[in-house]
Amino acid sequence: MVKDFKHTPRWTPRRWVKLRKVVQVLAFLLFLASFLTLRSGQVFSSNPAEGDLKTALVKLPLRLDPLAMISHALASRQFLAGSALALITITLTLVLGRVWCGWLCPLGSLLDWIPIRRKGTSRPLPPERWRSLKYVLLITILIAAIFTNLTLLVLDPLSILYRTFSTAILPALDHLVTAAERALYTIPFLQMAVGRVDSFLRPGILPSTPLFFRYTALYGGIFLTVLGLNLAAPRFWCRYLCPLGGLLGLLGKVSLMKHHISESCSGCGICDDVCPTGAIYPTEGGVDSNPGECTMCMECLPSCPGQAVSFPFGLSMAAWEPYDPGRREALVGLGASVAGIGLIGSSAFSERKHPRLIQPPGTREKDFFQECLRCGECIYACPTGAIHPALFEAGVEGLWTPVLVPRLGYCDYSCHACGQVCPVGAIPDLSLEEKREQVMGKAYIDHNRCLAWADHEVCIVCEEMCPVPDKAIYLEEVEVTGREGEKRVVKQPHVERDLCIGCGICEYKCPLDGRAAIRVYVPSL
Amino acid sequence: MNKISRRGFLHFLAAGLSFLGLSSLLGCKEGEKAISKSFSDGGKSAKLPSATATNPPTPTDLPTATVPEPTSTWTPKPTPVPPHIAVARNGDPETMVRKALAALGGMERFVKQGDDVIIKPNICVGYHTYEYAATTNPWVVGALVKLALGAGARRVRVMDYPFGGPAPQAYAKSGIQKQVRAAGGKMEVMSGFKFVKTNIDKGKSLKSCRIYDEVLKADVLINVPIAKHHGMAHLTLGMKNLMGVIYNRPQIHSNYGQKLADLNSRVRSNLVVVDAVRMLLRNGPSGGNLGDVRKADTVIASPDVVAADSYAATLFNVEPNGLRYVRAGSEMGLGRSDLGNLKIEEINVG
Repeated sequence: MVKDFKHTPRWTPRRWVKLRKVVQVLAFLLFLASFLTLRSGQVFSSNPAEGDLKTALVKLPLRLDPLAMISHALASRQFLAGSALALITITLTLVLGRVWCGWLCPLGSLLDWIPIRRKGTSRPLPPERWRSLKYVLLITILIAAIFTNLTLLVLDPLSILYRTFSTAILPALDHLVTAAERALYTIPFLQMAVGRVDSFLRPGILPSTPLFFRYTALYGGIFLTVLGLNLAAPRFWCRYLCPLGGLLGLLGKVSLMKHHISESCSGCGICDDVCPTGAIYPTEGGVDSNPGECTMCMECLPSCPGQAVSFPFGLSMAAWEPYDPGRREALVGLGASVAGIGLIGSSAFSERKHPRLIQPPGTREKDFFQECLRCGECIYACPTGAIHPALFEAGVEGLWTPVLVPRLGYCDYSCHACGQVCPVGAIPDLSLEEKREQVMGKAYIDHNRCLAWADHEVCIVCEEMCPVPDKAIYLEEVEVTGREGEKRVVKQPHVERDLCIGCGICEYKCPLDGRAAIRVYVPSL
Repeated sequence: MNKISRRGFLHFLAAGLSFLGLSSLLGCKEGEKAISKSFSDGGKSAKLPSATATNPPTPTDLPTATVPEPTSTWTPKPTPVPPHIAVARNGDPETMVRKALAALGGMERFVKQGDDVIIKPNICVGYHTYEYAATTNPWVVGALVKLALGAGARRVRVMDYPFGGPAPQAYAKSGIQKQVRAAGGKMEVMSGFKFVKTNIDKGKSLKSCRIYDEVLKADVLINVPIAKHHGMAHLTLGMKNLMGVIYNRPQIHSNYGQKLADLNSRVRSNLVVVDAVRMLLRNGPSGGNLGDVRKADTVIASPDVVAADSYAATLFNVEPNGLRYVRAGSEMGLGRSDLGNLKIEEINVG
């Protein structure tokens, strides 16, 4: 035993794989921690040191994402100090290859953990040429960014996770947990336990008041599709579609550390079978691999019966594969971005804004679409669930940028979390006092449906809720005459246009069903 | 690849479930302990948590629990007949609370050894600090926590369900959290699932609604409103403060006077302490202007929510029966609004 131990090298191939799996779990947990920290936005200011740490943590994942940072710098024409963190990922890739994809990316790890394609299935894989799709997407994104458009960043893997987590997974989880709590709470001897579990979950992980989102099925469906594509090929998304993977793959072509197969290879093809991205392919008399597709997952290392696989350091440039980007991909990317920008520019949304495009505080005066990463961090940070991804309000250009939906959530008068968490300052980091001055919209009363106006009922909820110190809604006492000539005094609400900031709490709390009788619209001036 | 086997997964699941079950059992044991404790210490079988939670209150046990009867069971203190209302003025908040409570016969009259006490201040929004008089004065709440613990309360929880901003933020901003914790009380964030559908047997307009279960189960409910202006109810005081323990508030807004009285017939305040240290005169209930605030340095205490509200209304020069909920409350026999016939003890602290 002792002798054996001495002869075993400290880092066996299997240990490397184990290490990678541990790192994947840790990186995913870090992402999750960063995501959940978003919700504690309203306590950021209570302790400056803790606040700084939390702010840094929530901004970390996207700042490490070179695709988001490069596109943002190109489109917004500004370089943020925080973006320099992306250099870590770039350096890492230049030294070690696509370790981001194989070891760190939370979406990549998720796809690794869902190996729904049956091992050894005879179903053919998609053609190799599809791999160039991710390069076309990458080129389109970068060229569009030069033209100040960031629309396709919705395809960034981190964006997909943030958006799905905040609009589909967490709300669904909250709904299920609440239903379970309500059911278990009726059993007397379980009440205390339910209370304890609840106080652990809320308000840290789940909201204390339920939040509702539009099109949850769409976001859940997109995510399930990304996961489901694993049926066609392991890590389908990473192989064929991920634009960030494309960017890192190109960098990986010249990385110092590369997958290497020695002369002793028998050409058995086992490594080809275990490779989750299909980076290894058979050649006459052996196998070869493309470092641009290799995620450095090391699965091939222990699989090789002849120990022919190694990952040596060395300066070299990998061979250009047929599916690697060439003139054709560059032209398609250029064409797609130019056509897209032309179409977006000539669409109705460029001329007439949607009246309900109510954007987060402090963004009205700037070219918001040029700066917003579509990451959706603000969506989860908003404790009242006011911020949603835009689907119909912002046109194609502003797809999934943040928009306030006052009927489902209001902008809390004491909260400025969205500006605190935005990783690129697209939503400015305003102090609470500054944020309270921001006009996001103006409220308008629908006299045909308002209880006080249309039905002469007693209802002053909008006035009651208005958070502005001098009340942007005032009540006018009006004498109304009934059918039989009887007189009655009712209080009818009016909006004081100059005071209204468009926070939307009046629309949110309006007691009518469905559409509210007081609604916030984009301010006309 | 190192996969978790199906067996391993099932073992894991079983371990998790048994842990859950065990923890729930432990929680249950603690609850039993508490119940047996209140049996042995207080002997107040009529107010056992489980009794009030499951059975709707009989018409007889409600009024006797709250309406002050000179012949009730409390042990006579220096004043043989306690006043209906005690009003303390011109002192710091804590002293005013202590004097007013002493005049009513001490906190021991309301809180017995081992009682589970809930204090319901008004923390309606998380926008401003207490100086803006939108939320109850923190030292008034803190003093009540101390008094209740001093009277032997098993635990004292303080809670509200803000309409503007998340509860933790409102608790912190109002300053109440700090004083409550310093006094040894606990702030509870109210969870949606604990609002259970409850019938209101005596209700005329509001027959049932979802009410916070813990408030119904508590041995003692201390209602601590702040006296302030309100666009619909004109003033928001003790009876309206109980809006914070129900889930669907818009349903209250039509015929609110009767509905508030109905709610108060089901959720009885054992003690009402109206904080009029600072009064919000305009732009309530959320406030935001110091110019709308008047410092009145007054604390009103009474076991009768209608009487407390009636007296507080006079501070605004409002005729008590001009408030719809006060009129509905006195008509339902929840308390008395005929201030002229009530014994009122005024204490000048300063």
